[in-house]
Amino acid sequence: MIQASKGLLYPWEKELCGLTRFCLTATNCGGKSGCLPLAGCGEGYNPEVMTKPLEIRVHGRGGQGGVTCAKLLASFFARVGKSVQTFGDYAGERSGAPVRAFTRVSDQAITNRNKVYEPDEILVLDPTLLSKEVLNGLGEGGRLLLNVPEPRWEELEQRFLRFQLGLVDATGIARRHRIGTRSLVIVNTTIAGAYAKMAGLPFDLVEATYQALGFMSNLEAAREAYNGVQVWEPREWPKEREGLSPGEGRALEKVEKRIESLPAHRLSPPTPLKTGSWKTQQPVYTENLAPCNAWCPAGNDVVGFIQAAGKGDVEEAARILARTTPFPGVCGRVCPAPCMEGCNRRELDGAVQIRGLERWVADQGFDVVPEKAVPPKVLDFGVVGSGPAGLSAAYQLALRGHRVRLYEGEKELGGVLRTGIPSYRLPREVLDREVGKILELGVETETGRFLRFEELEMLARNHEALILATGLQSLRKLEVDGAELEGIEQGIGFLHRVNLGECPELSGHVVVLGGGNTAMDCARSALRCGAERVTVVYRRTRLEMPAIREEIREAEEEGVQLLLQRQPIGFEGNRRIERVLLAEVEMGEPDESGRRRPVVTERVEPLACDHVLLALGQSRDLEVLPESWKVHEQRVSVHGEVLPIFLAGDYATGEGTVTHAIGHGRRAADLAMKELGEEVEVFERPDRARAVPATDIRFDHFDRAAPTRMPVLDPGERVRSFEEVNGGFSRSLEAHRCFSCGHCTRCDTCLVYCPEGIIRRQELGYEVDYSYCKGCGICVEECPREAMEMTQ
Amino acid sequence: MSVELLSANHAAATAAILAGEANREAGGFGGGVYPITPQTECIELLCAHDFTKGEVVRVESEHSAMAVCMGFSLGGARTFTASASNGLAYMCENVFSAALYRLPVVMMAANRTLGPPWNIWVDHGDSLMLRDSGWIQFFCEDNQEVLDTTLLAFRLAEDPRILLPVLVNQDAFVLSHTMMQTDIPSQEQVDRFLPPLHLPHQIGDSPVTIGGLDFPHETEVHRKQHAEAMDRVFEVYEEVRREFEEVFGRKPEGPVVPYQLEDADIVFVSMGTTGSTVRTLVDRAREKGIKAGGLRIRIFRPFPGEAIRSALGGAKKIAVLDRNISLGLGGVTWSELKDWAPEGSLVQDYMIGLGGGDIRPEHLESLLEDLQKLEHEMHPKIVEVG
Repeated sequence: MIQASKGLLYPWEKELCGLTRFCLTATNCGGKSGCLPLAGCGEGYNPEVMTKPLEIRVHGRGGQGGVTCAKLLASFFARVGKSVQTFGDYAGERSGAPVRAFTRVSDQAITNRNKVYEPDEILVLDPTLLSKEVLNGLGEGGRLLLNVPEPRWEELEQRFLRFQLGLVDATGIARRHRIGTRSLVIVNTTIAGAYAKMAGLPFDLVEATYQALGFMSNLEAAREAYNGVQVWEPREWPKEREGLSPGEGRALEKVEKRIESLPAHRLSPPTPLKTGSWKTQQPVYTENLAPCNAWCPAGNDVVGFIQAAGKGDVEEAARILARTTPFPGVCGRVCPAPCMEGCNRRELDGAVQIRGLERWVADQGFDVVPEKAVPPKVLDFGVVGSGPAGLSAAYQLALRGHRVRLYEGEKELGGVLRTGIPSYRLPREVLDREVGKILELGVETETGRFLRFEELEMLARNHEALILATGLQSLRKLEVDGAELEGIEQGIGFLHRVNLGECPELSGHVVVLGGGNTAMDCARSALRCGAERVTVVYRRTRLEMPAIREEIREAEEEGVQLLLQRQPIGFEGNRRIERVLLAEVEMGEPDESGRRRPVVTERVEPLACDHVLLALGQSRDLEVLPESWKVHEQRVSVHGEVLPIFLAGDYATGEGTVTHAIGHGRRAADLAMKELGEEVEVFERPDRARAVPATDIRFDHFDRAAPTRMPVLDPGERVRSFEEVNGGFSRSLEAHRCFSCGHCTRCDTCLVYCPEGIIRRQELGYEVDYSYCKGCGICVEECPREAMEMTQ
Repeated sequence: MSVELLSANHAAATAAILAGEANREAGGFGGGVYPITPQTECIELLCAHDFTKGEVVRVESEHSAMAVCMGFSLGGARTFTASASNGLAYMCENVFSAALYRLPVVMMAANRTLGPPWNIWVDHGDSLMLRDSGWIQFFCEDNQEVLDTTLLAFRLAEDPRILLPVLVNQDAFVLSHTMMQTDIPSQEQVDRFLPPLHLPHQIGDSPVTIGGLDFPHETEVHRKQHAEAMDRVFEVYEEVRREFEEVFGRKPEGPVVPYQLEDADIVFVSMGTTGSTVRTLVDRAREKGIKAGGLRIRIFRPFPGEAIRSALGGAKKIAVLDRNISLGLGGVTWSELKDWAPEGSLVQDYMIGLGGGDIRPEHLESLLEDLQKLEHEMHPKIVEVG
C-alpha cells in the first residue's frame, strides 16, 4: 500500500498537513505584509518547492458557481505564496449547462494555458454529471471530491476505489445556510470548504480568503463542509505504481491528427445537442391560488372573471361569477372587498378595483344564470330569511334542481339588503333584478310573516331540511341614564323606515353612536332626511372603525363630522333628548381582537343634539327558536339528536358582511344537500396562506398604472336625494391592471426568455420540448405571475 | 506595487485607470464604452471607477463608443475603450477616423471570432480586419503583458513623433477570463511614466475645423506623414521600453520575441497565447534532438519585417501558426511574413485554433512531424483542434 493514507499525496503537502500555524504570505513577515494575522503568524512556515504543477478541474452546472469555485481554490493557494492560474471553460450555454473550470498551482511561473486534461484533482459539483468523461485523465490515487447527498455515499464509496475520495452533501449544507436563489442552490463556497479539508489546508486559510473576498456570509457553510466531508484514501493501488505520485509516468492522451489542406477540408455536419439530458429539474405550468380568490368569502373566481372581462368576454365574466354568487350587482356596490385587501397590486401602485369591475360586469345585464341541474332525487328545502345568506342558499339549491320555499317576515325579499342598505349605495332596481333571477329558478316564497317557535317546528317537519338565515335581529342597546328619552332610536329601525320609503323627516343636530357601516348609513341617510348637522361618535380611533373606508370618506365629503374617542355615558333632556354626555376615551392595550381597548376617563362633556341614532352593533336572536332546539356548531339538535336544520350567514357566524353571508349560505346549502345524500363538494373558504404572495410577482414586467376612479356625484348634490352616489366604470379597462396571480395569461414571457427557444404556443397554453429543456429555470424565474414552477 | 489575482480584462482596465488618473492635472480621462463578450468585465471595472477628472460614457453602440473617444481625445483627455469581434466590425468606420485624425486613443480588443454563426472564443480575425486602419497593434501572451502593454501603449501613442492610436490585443477567454497573479504598479510610478497629455491639435475654446475636405495632393501628404509615423514606431518603442524598465523595473518584450532561435532549423511563428504552447513544443522537440525554435510576433502593425528577418536567421522550415483566416488567401500572418523569410526556406501556413479551439502541445507536435516531411510548400492548411 502506498503511504497515501497519511495524506502525503504531493511532496509539498508535507508542510501543509503537519502545520497548525500558517503564514499567509510565506514570507515570515510577522504580520507586516498587511495580511490577516493568524495564530502563530511568523513562526516559520517555509513551503517546499512543488515538483510539478498541481492541476485541478471543477465540473459543475451553469449557475452553481463552478468557475468561482476554481477561483476560490486558486485564492487559497495564492495566499500561501504559490503561483496560480484559474479560468472557466466558457460556453454559449447558460444555467444548467455542464461547465468546467480549471486551476493550476505551481512554484514556477505558469505558462501553460491549455485546459486541464490530466488533472490531479477533480471536484464535481452536481452528482448528475458523474460520468466517464468527467473523470477523464484523473490518475490513480488522484483526488476526487463529489457533492452528493448522504444516502448515495455508500454506493459511491465502493465505486471509486482508485482515488482519494471525498464525499460531502454541499447542496444540503448550502441550502440550510440559504446560499443561492429561489430556484438554484449555489454550492461553490461550501464545497471549497470540503476541498480545503481534503487538501490539508487549515480552516484559518479558508476564513482569511473569504474575508478578503467578501464571502464571510458563506463561511459557516464552508466550515460545516470542512468538518463534515468524508474522506477515503485510495484502496486499489497498482503495485507497479508504488512510490509514484499521481500523474507521474502517465501516457499523454493521444491527439487525433486532423490536418487537411484547405481545398480538401470538409466540415463535419453539426449534430443536434439534446440538452434535455442536463436537467435535474424541469418547468411545468401550474395554477396557483390568486390572493383575490383566497380572500373572497363568497368563493368567487375573482381572477377568472377579471381576466375574462379584460379579454372583452363580458358574458364569460358574468357566467364565472354566476357560478358562485347571485349578487354581482349587489356585491359590486356594497362589498367591503376583502379581495382588494389581498390584491398583490397593492404593493405596486394600488389594488385592482375589483368591486368596481364586478359591478361593471353585472351592469352589462347578461342573462347568464346557469341551467338548472336535474338531481337524482328532487329534495324539498325550506329557507328562513331572505337576506344574502338565505337567498344565496336558495340560489344554490334551486340551481341543483331542488324545490325551495323561502320564508320572509318582511313583505319584500332581500332582508338587510333591502331594509338595511340605503338606496344611494344600492339602488332597488339592482336588488330587484338579482332577486328576480333567483325567483326565476322556481323558488317559491312566503312573505310578510315572522316565524317563531312552533311555526319553525312545523317548517322543520314539512321540509326535508331547513336553513335558518335570519341575520342579526337583536340590537345592542345603551343602558345609561336617559336612554328612554324621546328622539333616541335604533339606527336599524331608522334605516328600515327610510329604506321602505317612509322617509322620516329629521331636523337639527343628529348624533349617531357607533363606527360601523350601519352608523355610516344612518349618518348619511339622516343628512338626506333633512338633518342640518350629523355627528358620528365613536369610542376608538379612526383606524379601528369597522366601516368601509370609502363609506367613511364619502360620509365626510357629505358633511358628516366624526367625533372620535368618545363614549356616551348618559342622555339628558326634558322628555326629549337635548344632550348626550360624552366621556373622553384613551386607548389602552390591545384586546383579544387586536384592537386597542378603550379606557373611559372622567373627562365628560355634553354634546347638544336633537336626535340620537344607535348603531352599536347587532347579534343573532336565538330566542325565537323553539325551546327544545339546541344550537351547536351551526346545527340544531333536539334531545341530542341532530336535525337537518342548518344555520347560515350572520345567524350562524355573525361575520356581518354581505359577501361572507353569500359564501356561508352557499356552504349551508352544500351541507344540507350532502346530509340528504346528494353528492356535492362542500364549499370551503380557501386557505389564504396558500395564495401567491406579492414577493413572487415580477413587478418589473408590469407598467405602473394608478387605479381607475369612478365618477361620483358631487357631495352637495348627493345629500338632496337617495340617488346612487357612485357612477360605476364605463369600460373594463381596470381589468388590465390585474396581475392574474398564479394564472397563466399566455403573455409569452416564458417563451421570450427561454434561452433554448424550446417553448412553443399551443391552443390553450404552452408546450416545453423537454428533450432540449436543460432545466435552467429562467422561464420560472421570469414568469411575471407565478404560474410556473420547477419540479424534480 | 501590489500583486493581485486579476483577469486580463481587469488588467487592461486597471492599466487604463492608472493611465487616466496620471492625466488628472491635464485633460483627465475619457472613454466611450459598449459591452460585448468577452470584453465586458474590462469596461465594467472601468465604469466602476470614479475618475478624479473625466468620465466613462456608456453609449448605445461601438460606433458611438469610438466617436466619444475621438471627442475626448481631441479635447485632451487620455482615452481608452475596448471591444471585440462584431463590435469592432460595427465600430470600423470610426476606427479608421481615429487613426486618420492622428488621435492617441488606446483600445483593448479581446479577440473573438466573427459571426455568424455566433462564436465567443478566440480568433485574431477581428483585429486583423483592421490591419490597414492606421492603428499600431500589439498581441499579448499573458496577463502581466496586457497590463504593461496597455500602459506603454499610451506613452507610445502620445509621443509627438507618433500620435497614432494603439490596439492592445488579448486572446478571448484564454486571457480575458483567466486570473493570474499580476503586478500592479503604483499611481506614483505611472505618473512618472505617463506625463500629462498635450495634443498638438487639441481643440480648445476657439472653433476649428478638423478633418475637413482633403484634396488629392493634401491626402498624399497626410498619408505620407502617417506612414512616416508608423516607420518611427520601432525606434520610439525602444525608448519607451527602456523608460518603462527604469520606472517599473521590468523590460517589456520587443516587437518580436524569439525562443531558442540561435541555431534553429525549424521555427514556429505565432501570435498571442499560442506563443507559450510553442515554447513547450520547442522544449519537447529539443529533447528529441530536433533543432526547433519559436518566434512570437508581438507588434503586428507596423509589421516588424526586419526584426523577423533577423530573428529567423538561417531557419530552413518555418511554420506560421495563424489563428485567423483571410478567406480566399490563407493566414494573414503567413501572407505578410513570407516575404521576410530567409531565402530558400520553406514557409508553411497552418491555420490552427480558428474559432477558439484549445491548441495543445500535442497538436503542434503533429504539425512538427508534418513539417519535417514536407519537401515544398503546400497550400495553407486548416488544422482542426476544436
